[in-house]
Parts: sequence; C-alpha cells; structure tokens
Amino acid sequence: MKQVITLEINGERREVAVEPSSTLLHVLREENDLLGTKQACDVGGCGCCTVLLDGRAVYSCMVFAMAAQGKKITTIEGLRKDGKLDPLQEAFMEAGAVQCGYCTCGMIMAAKAFLSSTQSPSDQEIRQAISGNLCRCTGYHKIVDAIRMASTIR
Amino acid sequence: MSRMNIVGNSVPRPDAFEKVTGGKGYIVNVRLPGMLHAKILRSPYPHARIRHIDASQAEKLPGVKAILTPAEVPQIKFHPVYFSPSTAASMIKDMLILSDTVRFAGEPVAAVAAIRPEIAEAALELIRVDYEALPAVFDTAEAMKTGAPQIYEHAPNNIAMHPSFSFGELQRGFDEADYVFENTYRTQRVHTCYMEPRVCVVESDSGGNLTVWSSTQSIFGLREKLAFALGIPVSKVRVVKPPYIGGGFGGKLDMGFLEPIAALLSLKTGRPVRIEHTRYEDFITTARNPIEIQMKTGVKKNGTFTARYAKSILDTGAHTTHGAVVLMVHGFFGFLLPYRCPNQKWEGMTVYTNNIIGGGFRGYGAPQAAFAVESQIDEICDKLKFDPIEFRLKNAHTEGEQHPFDPSFALTTYRFAECLKKGAAQMGWSKRQPAGSGSGTKKRGIGFACQPLWVSGCLGFPDIYEHSGAILKLNTDGTVNLSIATVDLGCGQNTVLSQIAAQELGVPVSAVKVTYADTDTVPFDAPSHASRVTYSAGNAVKAAAGSAKKRVFQVASGLLKAAPEDLEITDGRVHLKGSPENGLPLADVVKRAESPCVNMVPDGMQRTPLDEKGTIMGVASLAPTSNPSPAAVEFVEVEVDTETGEVKLLRVVYAHDIGKVINPAGAEGQVEGGVQQGLGFALMENLVFDPSSGACLAADFLSYKMPTALEMPPDIKCVWVESDEPTGPFGAKSLAEPCLIVPAPAIANAIYNAIGVRVRDLPITPEKIL
Repeated sequence: MKQVITLEINGERREVAVEPSSTLLHVLREENDLLGTKQACDVGGCGCCTVLLDGRAVYSCMVFAMAAQGKKITTIEGLRKDGKLDPLQEAFMEAGAVQCGYCTCGMIMAAKAFLSSTQSPSDQEIRQAISGNLCRCTGYHKIVDAIRMASTIR
Repeated sequence: MSRMNIVGNSVPRPDAFEKVTGGKGYIVNVRLPGMLHAKILRSPYPHARIRHIDASQAEKLPGVKAILTPAEVPQIKFHPVYFSPSTAASMIKDMLILSDTVRFAGEPVAAVAAIRPEIAEAALELIRVDYEALPAVFDTAEAMKTGAPQIYEHAPNNIAMHPSFSFGELQRGFDEADYVFENTYRTQRVHTCYMEPRVCVVESDSGGNLTVWSSTQSIFGLREKLAFALGIPVSKVRVVKPPYIGGGFGGKLDMGFLEPIAALLSLKTGRPVRIEHTRYEDFITTARNPIEIQMKTGVKKNGTFTARYAKSILDTGAHTTHGAVVLMVHGFFGFLLPYRCPNQKWEGMTVYTNNIIGGGFRGYGAPQAAFAVESQIDEICDKLKFDPIEFRLKNAHTEGEQHPFDPSFALTTYRFAECLKKGAAQMGWSKRQPAGSGSGTKKRGIGFACQPLWVSGCLGFPDIYEHSGAILKLNTDGTVNLSIATVDLGCGQNTVLSQIAAQELGVPVSAVKVTYADTDTVPFDAPSHASRVTYSAGNAVKAAAGSAKKRVFQVASGLLKAAPEDLEITDGRVHLKGSPENGLPLADVVKRAESPCVNMVPDGMQRTPLDEKGTIMGVASLAPTSNPSPAAVEFVEVEVDTETGEVKLLRVVYAHDIGKVINPAGAEGQVEGGVQQGLGFALMENLVFDPSSGACLAADFLSYKMPTALEMPPDIKCVWVESDEPTGPFGAKSLAEPCLIVPAPAIANAIYNAIGVRVRDLPITPEKIL
C-alpha cells in the first residue's frame, strides 16, 4: 500500500507516494529523477548511493524512504549553490580523481560529511572516511588528493 | 603544429564536470516513454534439462506484458565476444539466448517484461519450471576424466579446445640444462567489478528495427552479435554510443544475455524494454578464468633458458565465451613470447565445467601467466644465486629485433632494460636483503615482476578486428566535432583522442567536442580493449584531423595568398609557417567554406570561388601499420605480519615503455587503478563457489573483498620511458593492461623476500602465509 509522505530533499519539500518497503535510493532515483545517486549493489556494499541525512553520510539503499521523513536529505544535485560547485566537486576535477565516475557522486557525499566534521585531516583519516566507498578505476589515489585539496579551501 | 603543447599535458577530462554533478549520461539513466522492465528467471540447477515451463499464472499477474521462454527464441548458436566476427572459425559457438538445457546455476531460463521491475520480479516466482536435474562437474580435472558428466556433445571429455605450439627441440633443451625446475601455479576466479551494472534498453519499431542503448565496450560488436543471434541483418540494429560507461575492464566485452532478451521482449510488445543486472547477475556472468599452470623450465648455470614447457588448464565454465582467446593470449603473450628461449612448448586446455561463465578482464590471460612465469624466474634465481634483474635481461628481447609474434613487425622501440634499471633505482633495489632475513614479527621485503612483451592492439592476431575510424567536422566558430565509435570506459579515451585531434589540427583541446555517435552514422571501431585505443583509434583520429587540415589549407590559401603547403595552424589560427602574426582565425576559414556562393556586400554582389565551398571535414577508417610492444616492470615493497599473516603493500614503482605519454594524469590513473585490481588479485579477491552445487557464495560486495582506500599503498610512483614509437600517434604506444598484469607476481616475489616462503596459488591470504 502506497503512502504519501513529505521529504525534504536539497532544501525543497516534496510529496512522494512510497511503499513501506521503498528505499530512499529508489525514491530519489525513480520518483524524483535525482539520477546523481547511483545504484551499484543495493545491499550497502559499495557506497555509490551515498547521500547526506541531516549531514551524516548514509547508504541510501539501506534507508527506508519513510525513515527519512523529517530529516534533511542532501544529494549531489544539492551541493551546487547558486550555480557554484562545491569545493569537493572542483577538487575532484582538478586532481584527476574522476575516471569512469560511477562512484564519484557517492564518494563526494561521503567526503562532504567527513570534511564538515574534521579540520585538516591526515591522509589516513581521509582513507578511513572513504573506506565504505568502493572505486575500481583510480586506486583511490587521486580521490585522496582531491579530498585533501578540498579540505584546505573549505 | 610543431610544438607539443597539448599532447603530453594533463588536460582536464571533458566529462569530469558532468560526472561530479551527477553524470546523466550513464545507460542506467536511460528512460523512454512506455518503457517496460524485464527480469530474468535463472536456473537453480548447475546442469539440467527443462522438461516444461508453465507461465500461465505469471501471465495473469496485472502489469505483466510479455513472457519469453526458450520455445519463442531463435535457436541460433552464437559466441558473444565483440572483437571477433560471429562466423570466425577460431571461435566456439555454444550459446543460445535461451536453451532447453541449462549448464550453470544462474543460466537464464525465461524472462518477464512488466510495467514495473517489482512486478516482473514477482511474476518470476509464478513461473513453474519442470527441471530434469543432470549430473554436474565443477573441477577441471574431474571434468576431463572418463565417465565425467558430458556438458556438450561437441566436446569429448569436456575439452573445448587443446591448442599446442612448439619451437625448437624441447627434449634437447632439457638435456642441455644444468637445472630443471618444475612447479604448478594456480590462479582463482575474480571479477572485474565495474561499478555501473550491465544495463540495456532496447526499442523496436513496427518494421522490426531495433535501437539499443547498452553499457558496453563496443557498439559495433554489440550490433553484430545481436543481429547474428536474432538472425536479422545488421542494418536492422542501431546501437547508440554511451557518452561514457561506469567501467568495463573487459567485463562488458561480450553481449550478455540481457540485450537479446530485451530485444525479443521489445519485438513482442512493441514497447521499449529495459533490463538492469543485479550485482549477483553481474558476478555470475563474467569473471576472469581460473588457470592452473604446470611449468617446467631448463636453465644453464649462466642464467639462460635452454627449454621452457607449460601446460595451462583453463576453467571456462558452462560456455566458452572468452575462454578460447584468453587461453591463446595467455599462452603466447603470457608464456611463449616475453623471453627468448630456443626450445619451447606450450599446450593449453579450455575445459568446460558447470561453473559460471568467464569473461574478458584487463590483461586477458596474461595476469595468470605472469604470476607463474615471474614467480618461477625468481625461484630459479634464488636457487642459482643469480640477480633477478640480470637474469631477465639475459633472456629478454632487445630493441631492433624482429617481433617474436609477427615477423612482419620489428621491436623498433623497445626499452625493457631501461624500465628495469630506472625502476630498480627508484625502488632502491640494491638495498634488498636476503629472503627472510629480517628480524621481528613484521618483516619487510621487496620484489618485482615484468611484462616484457605486450600489445598496442590486436594487429597480427587471427580473427580479431583491429581497424578504427573517425569523422572530424569543423564548425564556423572554430570548434571541432569528433565522431567516433570508441567507447570511453572511464580510462579517458575521449580525452586522449581529443588531445590527438587538437594537436594534429592545431586547435586548443577545449575546441574539440566528442559528439553523439551510433552504428548508423560513424565508421567502425573495434572495441575499447586490448590496450589499443590510444594507438589504434588514435592513429585514425590523427589521420582524420590531418585530412581536415589539408582542406583548411586549400580554402585558406586563397584568403592568405599563399600556397597550401606553406601554411600551418597554431592555437586555432591559420598562418604562414613560422609567422603566426600573418594569419587569420580558423573560424574565418570555416565560415568562408560554409558561406553562400554569392554574398551581398555594400558595393553589390561578391562572388566567392566555388572550389572553396563545402563543410570542412576529415574522415578516416584504417588499421594501424604495426603492433609495437610496450614493456612493463613493477617493483613493490611489502610488510608481512608473521603473527597474523596479514600482508601490507607499502610502496609501488611502476616503469613502462609507453612510447609517449599523451596525458600524464590519465596515465598515472591507469597505473593506480591497476595496483588496486592487482592487489585484490594477489591478496584478497576470490569468487568462491559451493563445490557441491556450483552456487556462487561471494556474489555481492559484502562477501567479495576488493581493496578499499585503506588497503592501498600510499606511495605509487610511475616511471615513464618515452621511446617515441614511429608508428604511434605522436610516438605513443599502449599502457592499460600491463598495469594489472605485473602486480600479483611482484607482490608474491616481495612476500618471498620478506619471509622466505613461496606461495604458488592466489590469492595469498593470511592462512596461506601462516
């Protein structure tokens, strides 16, 4: 049975009809056309679907949409402010951290949550912070470079 | 343009902006009006005959629009591999889109298209299949025994193929040897783990014409394979090029079951049909074939090979797919060719089992071979007290020699020795301690491995496509549209090809835009595979740009009152050679060519010459003239915890004769990604199965362990040896695959150096260390 709920996505309140079993990932992609959040495993194993829930990074495939009511949801589409990219987005481009790019949005969201709570992180702390996000192209090297770079211009 | 101001620089990726802001271009995002979603019913049995399928209950489920069973599917046997013609004699055609016999747990049995994926999923549960279970076999040795379950009639003892090649006199070689070494090495089944699942959308029209969107490494490969399996002409299939895909690494180098199933469901319903693999479906339909390598090697005291023999047994699973070509690449480029030896024999066996099917994976048989060859060379050096670098150099090919694979080529540029020397210096090889000599519980060791000979494409291989094409069209604002069939898997193919076009034409790289392409509108290109794109497609792009440039000079010669041969283009300006101030913007030349024949000007009518008219473009479709070999060496330092068995990779130095680096940041990215995949192959990854049922036990990212950022070494250095290959675009050769061929044996050799223990089967897990 579908139920209508209100979600606050990227600062905008949206009414959506969801099944109790619908994941936040499903609702973002299929009901709201927010295609930047990717599905790659659907079991909380890869991090491609990472979004922010009240500023915390979560796997959106592991969160029921109903459980996200009353919380602020931020997706990659919500990072751009007044047409200006987030420093992390700039840094990922600058550092060459993007290859196939399928993990990129989830990786940026995980890094966003991390940088909002950590000043001047060490490389080891950065690696720890993104260890729940898999990438098969880059070896994470330039991703760590990008997050370090963004941490200095925040 | 004489100055190399574009090629050789880390120009930014044109697709990076789109990817950091959401990445709309992935095929997972393709949505069409009226689109249906299909799901595939898969066999729980590893080997069974289907007696009957009853889909009547499923058909009644509201929202179900069509069901596909084997009875409605063309029974045309095909092979799915994109780079080889469907009719190639060397390929084994043993697949059907849906068959009444299933040969691995997970083989498709039927499919449902419905208005929503959950409905299709629910309908699968309602399909009743009456299976007659058949005996199954999961081990290659068991499969080859007399009396083993026969998986195909065409393959007695389940041996799909048994190639054998020999050179010189093997026995004499062993008689001449001072030492003979015999070892067996084993590699496991691993998965490419591209992040974007395999996904396709197929649309059909009333004339039976198909349009296909698929996360694929080759649009022309898919067109041909799909048309063949459906029994329709290729002109009825149009495959749209994805602007980019979420990784491939060889795992999207064959037609999956999904594309023909979606096509048939679309033809049946008249609506677009989408199929997206679950991660489980990805894991069970493409993997690196496990190979057992029995190797016997004769050497002289002076460190030269006298005889080399190897027998390689490859588990190809339920269908051959890539298992025939992987075996040949493994034998030739992995075993026979990298080093010189007068007496050699290799034989290989591709063996059917009821395991999952294999696929392409970066390195394509060579990582398995390099693990055996490079491990054993170190074992030989240890016994002979021979320096491993000296040993390899003594047996290596040298620059200027005839190419050992195809005598019509030469090793014109070949700097293997330089890679070894520079890599060794960078790693500090001279400080290496004797094996197992460290004290304490955490012991460090260094080691290295080589891929002395590799390819820049497939030229010279039988039954493999190699030509590439490009259309380059100039716009009146001075920009350039580059239309190519080449798919960017993430490696930066679009970036590098744009750089080559910009450099040749003399425009800023930002002026080049890689545009829409499909199989109806652009020339053929072989797949993005085999380390071939920069070299092979790069040459085609360079030729197309060169031809457009020639036309620019013809049109500009009237405007600049100079002979075409006296002109050049720099930074988007056409000018007299050597004097950039005497010239005009390229845009003006294009405008002139595109302008009306007669223009109204204040003084009246002005006529422009007719022979200047026409869109300025360049078209090329060609095969490269050679297949120059790069060379790769990787040095690594590891730390082994002798109490826990844990191995940490601390440091990597990767040296590679690349000809010319087109984009340094992109090239480093290839190496760093190769280290991640190689580290996983060496220490962690294993697609394990239940040995009694053939069920995959690691088919998700929670149980299949691949390296995260925490396992990666913080220190990876690239040493580029630029040998300036004369047949390559701006001197370039290839890079991609050796980055993943060398890490596993380098790590195994470093582990030996750390603790004095040789592990001959992958992955080297803590249990094996302890």
